[in-house]
Amino acid sequence: MPVLNANSLLLSKGRRLPLTDIFANYQVAARFQIGLSITGLSETVDFACFGLDAQQKLSDDRYMTFFNQPQTPCGAVSLAATAGDPAGFCCQLDKLPTRIDRLVFTAAIDGNGTMRQMQAGYLRLLLADTEMARFSFNGGDFADEKALMVGELYRKDGAWRFNAIGQGFNGGLAALVRHFGAEVTEEQAKPKPVENKVSLSKITLEKRGDKISLDKPKTANGYGRIVCNLNWSTYTPQKKSFFGGQTAGQPIDLDLGCLYELSDGTKHVVQALGNCFGDYGNLPYIHLAGDDRSGEVAEGEFLYINGSHFDRIRRICIYAFIYEGAVSWTQADAVVTVAVPGHPVIEVRLDSQGKNSNMCAIAMLENSQGALKLTKLNEYFSGHEKLDNHYQWGMKWRSGRK
Amino acid sequence: MAISLTKGGNVNLSKEAPGLNKLLVGLGWDARATDGAAFDLDASAFLVKLDGKVRSDGDFCFFNNKVVAEGAVEHLGDNTTGIGEGDDEVIKVELAKIPADLDKVVFTVTIYDAETRKQNFGQVSRAYIRIVNEENGQEITRYDLSEDASIETAMIFGEIYRIGSDWKFKAVGQGFAGGLGPLAASFGVNV
Repeated sequence: MPVLNANSLLLSKGRRLPLTDIFANYQVAARFQIGLSITGLSETVDFACFGLDAQQKLSDDRYMTFFNQPQTPCGAVSLAATAGDPAGFCCQLDKLPTRIDRLVFTAAIDGNGTMRQMQAGYLRLLLADTEMARFSFNGGDFADEKALMVGELYRKDGAWRFNAIGQGFNGGLAALVRHFGAEVTEEQAKPKPVENKVSLSKITLEKRGDKISLDKPKTANGYGRIVCNLNWSTYTPQKKSFFGGQTAGQPIDLDLGCLYELSDGTKHVVQALGNCFGDYGNLPYIHLAGDDRSGEVAEGEFLYINGSHFDRIRRICIYAFIYEGAVSWTQADAVVTVAVPGHPVIEVRLDSQGKNSNMCAIAMLENSQGALKLTKLNEYFSGHEKLDNHYQWGMKWRSGRK
Repeated sequence: MAISLTKGGNVNLSKEAPGLNKLLVGLGWDARATDGAAFDLDASAFLVKLDGKVRSDGDFCFFNNKVVAEGAVEHLGDNTTGIGEGDDEVIKVELAKIPADLDKVVFTVTIYDAETRKQNFGQVSRAYIRIVNEENGQEITRYDLSEDASIETAMIFGEIYRIGSDWKFKAVGQGFAGGLGPLAASFGVNV
């Protein structure tokens, strides 16, 4: 077990200091450890170390150290869990080629969670199993980041220094990797085969019109934070062959939005077009985040519905439309998930052929005497007005461009 | 070739650029690359006497008081002139106009609303101050202070000061606890 050290240096976010201030009489030939931890998230957190060049780019993929590549070619950095920490690295900096200028230690959530949901986390530096410095943080330090640069070791004027970064990207690991200038391998867009396998974590609604009625909320918070996600990027966080030279075709821009009708009869729309992003904390209690025109945010677009106020909502019609790029829905390969806290994730795959129809109604959320009723629609329309008419919303429409 | 200074270093501007009168003080930093609240950094200048204090509040040059000492120092705000390309904020100084009872001009940068946004200079990349001769556009000296800035929310980047009839620039790189208010108070400004 690591030895407790009452003199361990506490580092606050933003702190920069020479490594010699952390390890007394530090020599570059010394081996030391980095221990990392993030707790309180239900999703897996993957830790990695990126060895960057002087331009702060990952010019050599072999210097990303993670579960599938546990060691740099030079052996300077290796994945080695320190006792008591969920993840760790062993470092011996004199082995590092001089072109590697910086080692950034990162954490990325493999799933839908965000860093604000963590309870606590830390990065600590240990020498001979003794903690010498610790950078602690908690969920309150973050917002919607899904990937963090926790801390970094870097060369400056011939010496190594440490910086407690604690900053990250909402776009997750893919955004992080892009920040380091590396390419993320994306699967070729192809029609997904029909999946018949039993999924323990997701309910897949395959047929149009399938309904799921969720039990009435038992808590004061109602249904909590209902998260709808539209993802058309075929990016999958592959555990192997992370990088590649494949270039994406013409970028596809799909937009997620909804028509809503409140219990008082108010009717409107939440979508990026027209800058109607809604509001989560106030009426309409629906908020659209992450309009991603290029598909570069791997997680796509999110629509948040404040289930604490579901009593104020009569019905919501969630739709997606092709803003630019994609010719057909099969090419876009889009998936919508609806996650109600405490319930299995509902997944709707947009697998039908839309004939000259750039708009697809995906799902209807209805307040059925207090219970949330979800219906898969999967109906295609040539525009907002047609969709509106079909579901008898009754709003006035004019064209626009974002 | 501009002289690159490290913390505490100084350069004699009058010797490096004989006849120097009008100069531009360019301050810069990298915009935030990560997600979260943007870094809003404000440059200010304090014209102080030998005792390190302003004569009056009017010697505090900042975004709400851009021209001070009858035009000796002028805050250009966001750099929209194209001069000093790449700088985030530029402060113009005319040495001959600096009143004789003022001894030095101190250049500072503070992070706006740092406390609520939980920001500090350790998160700001590539902060620098540079002195450019306005007459010919030549950079005389530069000080990159990122490594000298850490958990502070206010920094004294550098200062120009009189030595006899010459003017020198010193790379200060000193952090200061608190924001622009406490910093101004330390220079004798009533805030």
